[in-house]
Amino acid sequence: MPLDYPIHRRTLPNGLRVLVSPDHTVPNVTLNLWVGVGSRHEETGRTGFAHLFEHLMFQGSRDVRSGEHFEALMAEGGRLNATTWFDRTNYFETVPSGALELALWLEADRHGRLLDAVTQENLDNQRDVVKEEKRQRYDNQPYGTALVDVYAAVFPEGHPYHHPTIGSMEDLDAASLQDVHAFFRRYYAPDNTVLTVCGDVEPEEAFILVERHFGPLDAQRRPARADLAQLEPLTAPVRVERRRSVPNDRLHVAFRLPVDGTDELVAATVALDCLGGLSTSRLVRRLVRREQVAVGVHATAWGFVDGVSLGFVVLDIAPDADPETAELALVEELDRLATDGPTAAELEASLAQNERAWLSALASQEERADLISRSTLLHDDPGIVNTHLDRVRAVTPERVAEATRRWLAPDSRAVVAYLTDDVADEEAVA
Amino acid sequence: MTRPEVAPPRPWTFPAPRETVLRNGIRVLLHDLPGQYVHSLRVVIPSSLATEPPGLDGVSAMTARLLDEGTSEHTAEELAELMERNGMVLGAAVSDGGYLVDVDVPASRLSTAAGLLTAALSDPVFPETEVRRIVRSRLAEIEQERASAGVRAAREMARTLWDPADRAARPGAGSADSVRALTRDDVVAHHARTIGPSGATVVLAGDLSDLDPERILDETLGGWTSSTHEPAPAAVAPVPAADRSRVVVVDRPGSVQTEIVVACPGPDRSTPHGWAPHPVLSFVVGGSPGARLDAVLREDKGYTYGIRCAFRPRVAGGSFVTSGSVRTEVTGEAVQLVLGILDDVRDGLTDAETRAGVDYVSKTAPGRYATADTVADESAALALEGLPPDFTTCNLRAVAELTPESLAEAYRRTVTGEWSVVLVGDAESVVPALDGVVPGTVTTVDV
Repeated sequence: MPLDYPIHRRTLPNGLRVLVSPDHTVPNVTLNLWVGVGSRHEETGRTGFAHLFEHLMFQGSRDVRSGEHFEALMAEGGRLNATTWFDRTNYFETVPSGALELALWLEADRHGRLLDAVTQENLDNQRDVVKEEKRQRYDNQPYGTALVDVYAAVFPEGHPYHHPTIGSMEDLDAASLQDVHAFFRRYYAPDNTVLTVCGDVEPEEAFILVERHFGPLDAQRRPARADLAQLEPLTAPVRVERRRSVPNDRLHVAFRLPVDGTDELVAATVALDCLGGLSTSRLVRRLVRREQVAVGVHATAWGFVDGVSLGFVVLDIAPDADPETAELALVEELDRLATDGPTAAELEASLAQNERAWLSALASQEERADLISRSTLLHDDPGIVNTHLDRVRAVTPERVAEATRRWLAPDSRAVVAYLTDDVADEEAVA
Repeated sequence: MTRPEVAPPRPWTFPAPRETVLRNGIRVLLHDLPGQYVHSLRVVIPSSLATEPPGLDGVSAMTARLLDEGTSEHTAEELAELMERNGMVLGAAVSDGGYLVDVDVPASRLSTAAGLLTAALSDPVFPETEVRRIVRSRLAEIEQERASAGVRAAREMARTLWDPADRAARPGAGSADSVRALTRDDVVAHHARTIGPSGATVVLAGDLSDLDPERILDETLGGWTSSTHEPAPAAVAPVPAADRSRVVVVDRPGSVQTEIVVACPGPDRSTPHGWAPHPVLSFVVGGSPGARLDAVLREDKGYTYGIRCAFRPRVAGGSFVTSGSVRTEVTGEAVQLVLGILDDVRDGLTDAETRAGVDYVSKTAPGRYATADTVADESAALALEGLPPDFTTCNLRAVAELTPESLAEAYRRTVTGEWSVVLVGDAESVVPALDGVVPGTVTTVDV
């Protein structure tokens, strides 16, 4: 079924890219903003800053007091939040249609006039909140820091993706009000932002409202640096071992992948599906169903734009099994997929599951708005929401084999092993 | 630029289903949702965890999980491949009131998906190898759950809150001992006894234009019969523990945070006093960064990423649960603050809080039920709870009528000031900090 979600696009004189996708099935509107700043833009000594800054966006701006953004929208039936990731910072709310202009006014105030309200007290409070977020989601979880180790193992020191979005406690402590001001002036500007309105509104009305509130914001007119060149796969395996109080051994086997928006990344993603991303993947059949050396296998690819993406397979090792057996099996399956390519059934399964997942995402106004913002900020092409599945359908067995050979070679793997510490006297394999 | 006025929301009602009956008597609820191209199919079968055979806690959950691990026509792997190639995803779970089996699938594959679902429900063969594998996998999962502070806390809370003889005091999906003891015969017998079309409801939500859903469902699920299925007894609310008003510390040495859970027994959605006040109370007390709990613990003190509370209805009975994590050093003060805030609500809510809570719950409803899966989930939950399909809409009308007085009254009915408190954290640091902070006894248990 060809997708045809309507998307209308305009760019304001100050550079703000505005997308409107009308949908009157529910009396709601989603407002979704992607700002072109994420942890990849952070400087040495200031990791975690983009995310800490995102928290400050809820602490008041010129005409909005601290906490009022949440309160005002929730009292009108709004559901809202914000997230920070490697490539971007995302602010979003879904409100009854009649509250769209209020949402735009609130967003414009903080995206244009935040610095009038930022205080040391708010910075200190949100620094504490973010440190608790880090403890809750990373430090106090059994395998919570494994992905932090993965980023550091796969990407070289100094590379934009070498450090996690949450940052480090030391760097969070070092963040100052001066940093907040400099960061806002450098990155928060209409010409570094995409705004999507999706839902129960006519395009013309939405454009008028956006223009009214965001039109007065000043462009920054400071071109972003060009994205880095594609990072080649690792040339030799990298290995990180951690002995921890974890319930069972777990291996994260990670690879550098081609950048987001390329056919090659789509092919590599299908390859990872065939290996471990589906319930019928090779490694699931072999390690979980037949040999039973793993209790779970997962594989995923995260598309990034700054010269490289990340792919990884997670092997959850059965309590009495040897992680090395599982890793050797993975190496064998990588070789086999590189040589023989996927079967017709595997390709069909990957496509069918991608299709359901994509349609499910688009079924929600919120996620549709998010995907439109993403496609526009990262690739300047909102139409990707309608064309992405065609790209997946075009993947051939040959392209999957080729992507496996080039990007998923066993020698290009970085393994982060979290091993139970009840065998602490056993010699760690370096 | 002056602050814009907000236009009142358009009237909205929960999507009403078309109700029909299949040839085997199964009740069907069809929600036609234009533009929803992924269909959500749900089957609920009333059943009672309390009737699991002694020593076999978790046999219901294991039976649910094994439904799609092989039928007389297809091996486990064949079935997995068939489902996956048809873009289908199937899940099965069990609550205090019964089984919930859910399928999401693109509209074009509905017929195939309904056929595979019927086979999984009516004709699973539970191969010995798959039973052994799923048991092993569940045992590993139990260990992973133990390692997670949040899950560990929830388990200890069930044990503290409910009477030791009540099934609700023990993990729904079983303990390591009970799961290890399960055999294929147990699962086969349990399936025969507890899974059948009698009393079941099927919910289908999605864009139903160009489809004949009645025919598709009648040709598949309509052919499901069982001669062994015993209708389930009505669910009964769990009995609270006589000594539930106490503090339990689960020692998790080296934890950098303490997971705090505070609870008391609460109502289900069929409460004769009306369900309407409860979601509003959840929001006002602990449903946003500006709610009473986070206004102090997060926005003022910076002790936590967030502390939330909610009334959690079961099919029968329920609980009122507050949970969140704080850094270890402030545990004592944080617990004192949480208990103080929760108790203070008994003195009443302000007009502004009432208005904000009522508006939030009323006006977010269209967005909370905007997709096929959310509509199907709510409709299936209502069916299992024995509530009518217009419950959600009627409840929203009742929400609009709430006053500060009716909210406080509802809160006081549940919250008597007797709390069960579970803290998962570093006992060596946490226990001394509780001195003089919490009433009643403090017990420490191993993780």
